[in-house]
Amino acid sequence: MNVALWTQIFGIVAALCPAILLLLLGFRLLINRPMSELIVGRCLKAAVGMSLVSSLVVLVIMLATGSRREFIDFGDMVAIHDVHFHFHMKFVFDRLSVPMVLLSLVLCGTVGTFGLSYLHRDAGFQRFFVCFAMFLTGMTFASLAGTIETLFLGWELVGLSSALLVAYFHERSAPVTNGLRVWSVYRLADAAFLAAAIALHHQTGGGDFGILMGDEPWPAGTASLSSGTAFLVGTFLLIAAAGKSGLVPFSGWLPRAMEGPTPSSAIFYGALSVHLGAFLLLRASPILDQSTLLCAMIVILGFVSAVFAALAGRVQTDIKSALAFASLTQVSIIVVEIGLGLQYLALVHLIGHACMRSLQLLRAPTLLRDYKTMENAIGESLDHELPRVLAWLGVSTQRKLYRAAMERGYMDSILDEVVVGPFLRLFSIFNCWEQSWTRWLNGSEKPSLSTPLPQGSKLNDE
Amino acid sequence: MIDTPLNATTPGNTANLDFSSIRQAIDHAKHYLPSQGPIAVFIHHNTLHAFESLPFEEAVIEGLRIYGSQPYWQESRYREEMSRDRIQLQDLQTVLKRDLGESCLREIALGTTRFDLRYNMLRYSLSTGSDSEIRWLMAQSDALERFQLGVEPQAGIALLEATRHWIMRDLRLHLGDSSAAIPSSIRSVFDEFPLQSIESWSDSTWQQLTLQLLWRICQDGVRGTRRIGHTSCSVSRHRDILLSLCSFDCDAQVHDLLIRFTSAFLDQGFAGWSIPQRDEGFYKCFLSLFSERSPWSENWLRPLRALLAEECKLVYSPMESIANSLNHLGVPEEKRDEFIKRTLLALPGWTGMVQQMASNASWTLHPAPQDSLEEFLAVRLLLDRLSATLCMRMYLPKLNKLADLFAVEVNKQIDLREQSEQQIAFYVFQLAQRLNWTPSVLHAWTASEWQTVVEEIGLFDDLERRRVLHLAYEHRYRTQILDAVSEHSKLPLKIPEKVSFQVITCIDDREESFRRHLEELDPNVETFGAAGFFSVPMYFRGAADAHFIPLCPVIMVPKNYVEEVGPLSAKQAQVRRAQTRLLIGKASKSFHRSSRSLFSGVLTAIFGSLNAFPLVARVLFPRLTAQIRSTLGTLVRPTIATQLRLERGSDSVVTEKGAEGFTLVEMANMIERLTGDLGIHQRFAPLVIVFGHGSSSLNNPHESAYNCGACGGGQGGPNARAVAQMANDPRVRAILKDRGIVIPDSTLFVGGFHNTCDDSTSYFDIDRIPPNHAEKFVAASEIVDKARKKNAHERSRRFYSLDMRCSDEEAIRHVERRSEDLAQVRPEYNHATNAACFVGRRGRTRGLFMDRRCFLTSYDPTTDDDVTSILNRIMQAVIPVCGGISLEYYFSTVDNIGYGCGTKLPHNITSLIGVMEGAASDLRTGLSQQMVEIHEPVRILFIVEAKPESIVSIMDRNPLISTYIRNHWVQIATLDPQSTRIHLFQGDRFEIYEPGPHVLPTVQASLDWYRGWRQPLGFSTVESRASTSRASAEMEVVS
Repeated sequence: MNVALWTQIFGIVAALCPAILLLLLGFRLLINRPMSELIVGRCLKAAVGMSLVSSLVVLVIMLATGSRREFIDFGDMVAIHDVHFHFHMKFVFDRLSVPMVLLSLVLCGTVGTFGLSYLHRDAGFQRFFVCFAMFLTGMTFASLAGTIETLFLGWELVGLSSALLVAYFHERSAPVTNGLRVWSVYRLADAAFLAAAIALHHQTGGGDFGILMGDEPWPAGTASLSSGTAFLVGTFLLIAAAGKSGLVPFSGWLPRAMEGPTPSSAIFYGALSVHLGAFLLLRASPILDQSTLLCAMIVILGFVSAVFAALAGRVQTDIKSALAFASLTQVSIIVVEIGLGLQYLALVHLIGHACMRSLQLLRAPTLLRDYKTMENAIGESLDHELPRVLAWLGVSTQRKLYRAAMERGYMDSILDEVVVGPFLRLFSIFNCWEQSWTRWLNGSEKPSLSTPLPQGSKLNDE
Repeated sequence: MIDTPLNATTPGNTANLDFSSIRQAIDHAKHYLPSQGPIAVFIHHNTLHAFESLPFEEAVIEGLRIYGSQPYWQESRYREEMSRDRIQLQDLQTVLKRDLGESCLREIALGTTRFDLRYNMLRYSLSTGSDSEIRWLMAQSDALERFQLGVEPQAGIALLEATRHWIMRDLRLHLGDSSAAIPSSIRSVFDEFPLQSIESWSDSTWQQLTLQLLWRICQDGVRGTRRIGHTSCSVSRHRDILLSLCSFDCDAQVHDLLIRFTSAFLDQGFAGWSIPQRDEGFYKCFLSLFSERSPWSENWLRPLRALLAEECKLVYSPMESIANSLNHLGVPEEKRDEFIKRTLLALPGWTGMVQQMASNASWTLHPAPQDSLEEFLAVRLLLDRLSATLCMRMYLPKLNKLADLFAVEVNKQIDLREQSEQQIAFYVFQLAQRLNWTPSVLHAWTASEWQTVVEEIGLFDDLERRRVLHLAYEHRYRTQILDAVSEHSKLPLKIPEKVSFQVITCIDDREESFRRHLEELDPNVETFGAAGFFSVPMYFRGAADAHFIPLCPVIMVPKNYVEEVGPLSAKQAQVRRAQTRLLIGKASKSFHRSSRSLFSGVLTAIFGSLNAFPLVARVLFPRLTAQIRSTLGTLVRPTIATQLRLERGSDSVVTEKGAEGFTLVEMANMIERLTGDLGIHQRFAPLVIVFGHGSSSLNNPHESAYNCGACGGGQGGPNARAVAQMANDPRVRAILKDRGIVIPDSTLFVGGFHNTCDDSTSYFDIDRIPPNHAEKFVAASEIVDKARKKNAHERSRRFYSLDMRCSDEEAIRHVERRSEDLAQVRPEYNHATNAACFVGRRGRTRGLFMDRRCFLTSYDPTTDDDVTSILNRIMQAVIPVCGGISLEYYFSTVDNIGYGCGTKLPHNITSLIGVMEGAASDLRTGLSQQMVEIHEPVRILFIVEAKPESIVSIMDRNPLISTYIRNHWVQIATLDPQSTRIHLFQGDRFEIYEPGPHVLPTVQASLDWYRGWRQPLGFSTVESRASTSRASAEMEVVS
């Protein structure tokens, strides 16, 4: 058999193993016949292992043959020609996707093994691993995506599993509230992504990165878009990336997402999920190259987010929030690097940061012991001096900055009040109208168009 | 949106207000706050310490009223225990009879005594539910067609026949007659049955009719009776009123802010930027921070600046501010105490920590100023005012000041215990099926009889049933252990003829199995238990430690400082190693910090891929990684050949806080006390090993809780080492000799350390063991080594992740892995399953398998004086320590959410002082679900080898012990030193205990008894080589 066929076979195994795991775990739980912890563990390890080995084989083949890009095409999953709708499943192995998928598999494998012990005998063990498999599937699809719709599929799976795991402890209200919040920001990002995808389809007749970005493999491609279109599409992609990676002004959800069990926080918000926005920008980097204005926007947004996150991270007193903001700082810098066109640096930075942060998050509960060890080695208590930059500022400015950092840049409450509030008020007006019209149609009352009092203007949860 | 001035009411003249009464209210309320300090030093204590002056059973109900936390397990949980025979019917009968006393036989309905009623309510699981659930059950399920599940067939048939007779005899002829005295409601039941063919009805038709009649009669009977309600939870805060009126929780936003602010204020050096003006106290700090103009603020906080400006202008003290806020809130004078208490308890974890940091944490880096709780309350009330005002404006625009809320009609009494008519009727309906209350009997009851029954059922409500079920649950274990001890102590006193070596460990329940295995392995070993600081209270600093830490129970304050120092010969090497450590420490500190910062973070992150190796290695191969790390660690650790600077020299510093080292007399005093407590001074073996204990685990914020409680949450190794060094000192021995305690010259003490998590043992100062002792020591250490493996094997039976077929070697590897595994949330089970404490000679319990559930304190009654002064001092330490552990475990188990800290999985260390759940929550105190999941919540039972009179006299001498025992926070029994007679403290006095006809199984080795079992095990006598070797020892004597 020839090499090309082997590449295809291993490529398919690499891409589909996680999906099979998801189907297996999910189906067994659905028919209420969950597998034992031991079997779940074996399945997880087998799926990740097979996928990992296959990806490595593909990598070796590519290195050996000097190929810089391999496609695995499943063709159109759905195609409705009358309305020009098609959903094209296609995976690609190139310099961006191979490191990313290897990273995802290594981290998911490690953190999954961690979770097997950590969640041992927990009531939600099965639920956790179904979500985990969903996340793994999403990450593999997104990393290997060769069309924008495949990327979108992976992106959605990652988002859904994130939100479900944030709300893992659903018997308390805070995780559910925060899960919902994460979910709504993600939906906003999804909407922007979808808009970008549709715009691309309209422009090029398809979402295939290969066609879209020219024949050259990543990152050398040139997008066949005009600067104006590139700016439009790129802006949508930027909004999507900002939502997913928690950049300003969406940063509020990131610390709130630390509600789930520690391993899920580590893999999602330390390692993979939070980098997905940056990955999207990397994947679309040929589009970004078309518009300098867009690149400038990316750099500015990244810079602002980085400064904000570094500042907010300094005042956090709990380990998980501090790590969340530390993550955000680095993700923002990665975004800056992408905006500056330093794709390779960004990729290395992303991988390094993901490994480092997930280890830090996994061992977050050991903080007290770490502090004691460091204290003993240094021989004195660890305390901080005010950072030099801040010490220059006046006392009053310090207080203002401190408060802004403590309130996390007021971002949540601004979004609540400026964006969500008006929507809610508008819809509660519609609601009242509808009710009064229904009453009138029932013949019980005359319609009135008076503006009702907003019901439940509590904006936290919406 | 809403920006009207807040001071719609005229602020009252605060000067007139009596501050002292407010202060009193705060002082009173603060006792109810959790008293757990920073988590790095975790001390087990009675969770309901504030209620110790009440009897246990009343206190737990108070706990329910004040904290809303459960007093016992849920009834369903006790039923599970019944189904696995953990509670037996005879336990229920015994306990219930005792509980009811003389009123047991009081007849409450025809042929049914109070005992019958209660017993049946306990025995069967009667279902209940809300009114609508019951309605649904009746309409949709087969509740009215078939007898309930669990009704015995004979009872059903009897009920059917009686009903059939009654209807055929009394009712049939009158049913058609509308003038007859049959209530229409009963008549209507028959509407749906074909009366014409009544003679040929099938059994199932009769069953249906019977049940429908019963239900109808029950409903009719209960109607109009007075039910017993216990109003217990009163609504006192504005938030409660608003919550019930508009379903809006105004605490949510207040807590959101308050948690962030308080954690920043209490932070012990975690955040890179600490809160400005922290030194000025909670109130000032808040004022200055929030008085700044900010570009944006949340809706409800917008009036805050104006409010704070007013506070600043009037230069309020926190106390004035509280008075002013109370005025604005319109809290009536008589409700003020309750209001303050409830306000402080709204966020109990953080509020309690503010209080702890202000009163009890001088050893921390940043303790809070003394009046912080007042200041906290002042701030909290300001925020409460804002939040409540906004909520009121939004939902109740007609009200214009907060005080008006108190006038609004709301259901201010939330009744925790009231039952509805429907619920009571449903109970009667179910009981009738079991107690053979036929429809005719029920129909004949007069209104007053119904009243009695309803009252009786109401009296025995959910809480009461759980109380009795719990007593039965405790009764079972108590019976088992007392029977076992009584049976076992019939055997001759098990003292080895010729002692090979002696081992002294902590009294800890985890050492029970370790000691048992030692004794099994070598029948000539003698073991002793003493509180793990071994009567050596001290501040200790290891050679590689930064600070002195106290190693003694928290109730003591050490007076002496002891330091570990390196040997002079290796001074250069020591200095070099210390410098390397410093370097590594600084590097890891700067990595720890910079990995989270902006620019240096970039560098660390770009090279972060290197982290993939430790990440994968530590998760997949924790034990191997730990070994490599420890090998590397030996390069920088101080050499093992260190010494304790134990003796006070002429140049030692002596201040009022304490002195460096101990004088010889002090040393002799401590050794005298220890040997006296143990009763070891009659006979010293050539080798005495003293084991301190501790535990090490990763990713465990509660690590300190696993250490030795008697060392204040520290590790007891240094204490053991100090004891050995003191007892080996010839000068100390000389002093002791004068006092009549002769330690033979041939006796050597060795200090050691037992890690209860990975079951490793190590020894101190072995290089200083004289050569003529070396052989003995090596032989002893080999036995200890086998014992620790067997111990690991025994405790592994509780770990579901290890196959029960494993060998000793696999078990020890497994526990070693557990202690090094980042992913392990149950490194060990700590004190879980603790249930008893034996105080007496080991000879009385030697060879009794106690399943690691019993603290073992050595005490020899034969050497004590007439007033039992040794027992007195032992009990002073043992009762509060073991009682505290037992009660903390009890409460964290029965209500893990309320009293415990919930599951460990989302725990998030905050401010280096405690854990929150997830991103932000109240500070969680107590024990986690993973720590208590195998625990059986029972109050600890002390079995003391003494006369009951001695205990009574000790109780008279010690109010604390008396309170614990008389209020039944702990159970106590005595074992007669000369016989097997047992007295049990019940009610308010000791009563003789009659052991049941209990046969104690005998096994060859502990392994034979526990192999294949995961659950808690009963008692057995382990008698194998012990007896044979004793026989052989006798042979030797003969020959």
